[in-house]
Amino acid sequence: MPLLQLFNLRKDFGGLRAVDDVSLEVATGAIVGLIGPNGSGKSTLLNLIAGSAERTAGRIIFDGDEISGLSADQVFQRGIARGYQDPSLYLKMTTLDNALLPVKSQRGEHPWYAPWRRFWQKQEAENARAAAGVLEQVQLLGHYDSLASDLSGGQMKLLEMGRSLMGSPKLLLLDEPTAGVAPNLAYEIFEEISRLRQQHGITFLIVEHRLEILFDFVDSVYVMHLGNLLAHGSADDIASNETVREVYFGD
Amino acid sequence: MPSSLLVTSLVNTIQIGSLYALMALGLTLTFSVIKLPNFAHAEYVTAGAYAALIISLAGVLNPLIIIAVAFLVGALTAVVSHLIVFKPLERQNVSLYTLILASFAVGLIIRYILFTIADYFNIFDLRIAIPLQILFRTGSLILTNLFAWVAPTSIVLVILLTLLINRTALGREMRALANNTILARVIGIPVERVKNYTWLLVGGMAGVAGALWGLQSAVSPLMGWAAIISVFAAAILGGLSSFPGTILGAYVVAFSENTIMLFLNFSYGVDLAYKPAIPFIIIIAVLLIRPQGLTQLLKRAGELGR
Amino acid sequence: MINIDLGATAISVLTLFGIYALMSISLNLEYGVAGVPNFGQALFVSIGAYVAGVTYTRLLPLLAGMESVHPCGPTMGQALQLRSEIMATQPVAGFINLALTLVIAAILSGAVGFAVSYVTLRLKEEWFLALVLLVGGETVRIVVRGADDLICSHNGISSVAQPFYFLDDVQMSSILFMLLALALALIAYLYSQRLTHSPYGRMLKGLRENEEVTRGLGKGISLARAQIMLIGSAIAAIGGVLFALNTGFVNTNDYVVTLTLDVWVMVVLGGIGNNRGALLGAALIAIMDRVTQVAAIALNMSGSPIEFNYVRFIAFGIILLLMLRYRPAGLLPESRLTTIAHETAKRLTPGKTI
Repeated sequence: MPLLQLFNLRKDFGGLRAVDDVSLEVATGAIVGLIGPNGSGKSTLLNLIAGSAERTAGRIIFDGDEISGLSADQVFQRGIARGYQDPSLYLKMTTLDNALLPVKSQRGEHPWYAPWRRFWQKQEAENARAAAGVLEQVQLLGHYDSLASDLSGGQMKLLEMGRSLMGSPKLLLLDEPTAGVAPNLAYEIFEEISRLRQQHGITFLIVEHRLEILFDFVDSVYVMHLGNLLAHGSADDIASNETVREVYFGD
Repeated sequence: MPSSLLVTSLVNTIQIGSLYALMALGLTLTFSVIKLPNFAHAEYVTAGAYAALIISLAGVLNPLIIIAVAFLVGALTAVVSHLIVFKPLERQNVSLYTLILASFAVGLIIRYILFTIADYFNIFDLRIAIPLQILFRTGSLILTNLFAWVAPTSIVLVILLTLLINRTALGREMRALANNTILARVIGIPVERVKNYTWLLVGGMAGVAGALWGLQSAVSPLMGWAAIISVFAAAILGGLSSFPGTILGAYVVAFSENTIMLFLNFSYGVDLAYKPAIPFIIIIAVLLIRPQGLTQLLKRAGELGR
Repeated sequence: MINIDLGATAISVLTLFGIYALMSISLNLEYGVAGVPNFGQALFVSIGAYVAGVTYTRLLPLLAGMESVHPCGPTMGQALQLRSEIMATQPVAGFINLALTLVIAAILSGAVGFAVSYVTLRLKEEWFLALVLLVGGETVRIVVRGADDLICSHNGISSVAQPFYFLDDVQMSSILFMLLALALALIAYLYSQRLTHSPYGRMLKGLRENEEVTRGLGKGISLARAQIMLIGSAIAAIGGVLFALNTGFVNTNDYVVTLTLDVWVMVVLGGIGNNRGALLGAALIAIMDRVTQVAAIALNMSGSPIEFNYVRFIAFGIILLLMLRYRPAGLLPESRLTTIAHETAKRLTPGKTI
């Protein structure tokens, strides 16, 4: 059974149909690419899945449950985390605090418990150990005390991914994880993604423009154009698909 | 409610509504073009009123000159506050709350400078004393030349401003800026210059509103601040984006404050002291129930954008 | 020349500092930590004052075992005499009344803060919340002033004595009141310090930095925001009770937008998001208040035509603008979050690279 299924998902902005009856599937443990020219509705589709935009019609099934209509925080609690195209780190917080924020059901997050450390200190220390593990994996443990604003662009991307992991997601939605990153580092980011899939069994749905890197890592690719799904297949299929080449590369 | 009171309150509605419109259009324009809910707007009004009062005390009694001076002083105050405060802050890319806070600070500074001046010359609560002539009188209703100045001048200025926005090159550029600042910059609109003109217009209109206000009632350093919430209510009724909506909103607020308040007082014994609560109720009701204001009712006519 | 009694000045400045600190800590939690633009601080402070106005006229006589007299209208003088007498002769009734006043004020104000923040979630634009709070404060003020009975409309309630009024030694009595204000401020400070340096504080800062992302990371932020408004509003109302006791009056004219701006100046000056900064801001404003008061009197006596009380507001406006422009983080910039997590991570970090 697929981890994520979309049935006839639709999103209208005023008179504009940004996502037009899209149905797709993401298999458990897969890395799936989502490509298409600018304005084809990819980011909107991610927003719909993540609950940060409200769908006009259609259904979203995740892990056997219908999650259409849930709010972004509820969707996260179900196990879908997302990365953003623009850096979305908390720049005035340390690397460690960035990583700790998304941890689910923290007792110290409740204002009545928060002032009394003994209620949450033990849990906080455990979370910190988990966070240190994740930070080590993305090679940022040495920077645990730096403000996020002091990290390099690539480190920010890695921290953002590490932060998403702290919510122990089953599915990670990434919106151009390599945007604005040097080519060699972009490759590293995808290697990291691949490692995460192997070690933690996380499933990925990735919007990416750097097809040459993406195609090296994905199990399958969906192509969107003007809000519609244009094609679906393996990286090789898509690379040789005439229609895709036409809308994508204009040749 | 006696009909003579009704007529008087309707006259007040027209007069005060026209002044509100003049002020609220400036607020709407600042919010659309500059993207700032400017709480210092009130003080441009007061500055204009004091300028008018001072020259009238100095012996200048020609209403046209008084209005022109008020325009200049209001415009100067606005442009200076833009150049010294808002422009540098915008450059620093500060948050909207910082800008709002700065506008409060600017208002506070201008208001208390005016307090100091008023105190120094002992000119509190005086009316701009152009000679009164009675134009029309029936029963208890007396229309003087003040009425002939206040409402028509406001209405003419409102019409002129609307024409400027809709028919001129500057107006087109302002509308472009209101729609999308970045895009406006990209297509080569001289953003800074348009902003300067916007501040000039907004401040000038506020200054004139102050002078006209001072013709019909006493000038005090708190007069603008006392009206700002009513003016915000009018602008919010217009969705902070539409000129016709703002103008309609101004008259709705004035009508509620005058006619409806008087009616409530007569029929249900509601104390007139609650009058200042009316614009507050309007603002909260509109923001919670119909944040787009009256714009939809007006079929988006004359929309500035956003 | 005027004589300045240094002892009395120190006491009054420290008392004012304690009261201002409650207000600035409250705003710092709301805006500095959580990013909620509370432009209605005067509202929450005023709730405390109005509650005091009601309890000192209605509840106090009951606690003292006497019949209460209507505080407004023809019996105004009689009611004033009654409460002064009780405060002078029955300290226990005074203390119980104060304790109940603080509790009622905190609960009422907290409930209002909670409710307002929930209602305004539907607002289209973020800054509408600022407008609603500002406008709400003014509305409540007008309604309270319009109501003839509550705190006697524009007359207000005078002779709201502080709880140590019964002491014969006036200086001792004001010292004790000062200590009370400082103690409450200290408790509020320690509480907000712990609140800030906790996972809850982390979530609030996340909410401040980026609402959408924080929601996307699984945090139900509307509740978090309402909760911090509840806490902040309760603290502000406690400040309001003390403010009224300190001046001895409850009058709607004291709770206007300029009071809100004063509190903003404290937070912006001290350091947005830093509780210590809030204390520093409160201290500086308390001192400046006193200095301008003295200067105003001195100028007045020397026959100067300049009214110095106006200069105070101009100066505050200029300070605010200078800070926003040249030192937006305040005198004491925000400190990093410290929880046990940082020690844990430090132990796990081999040969720290920074």
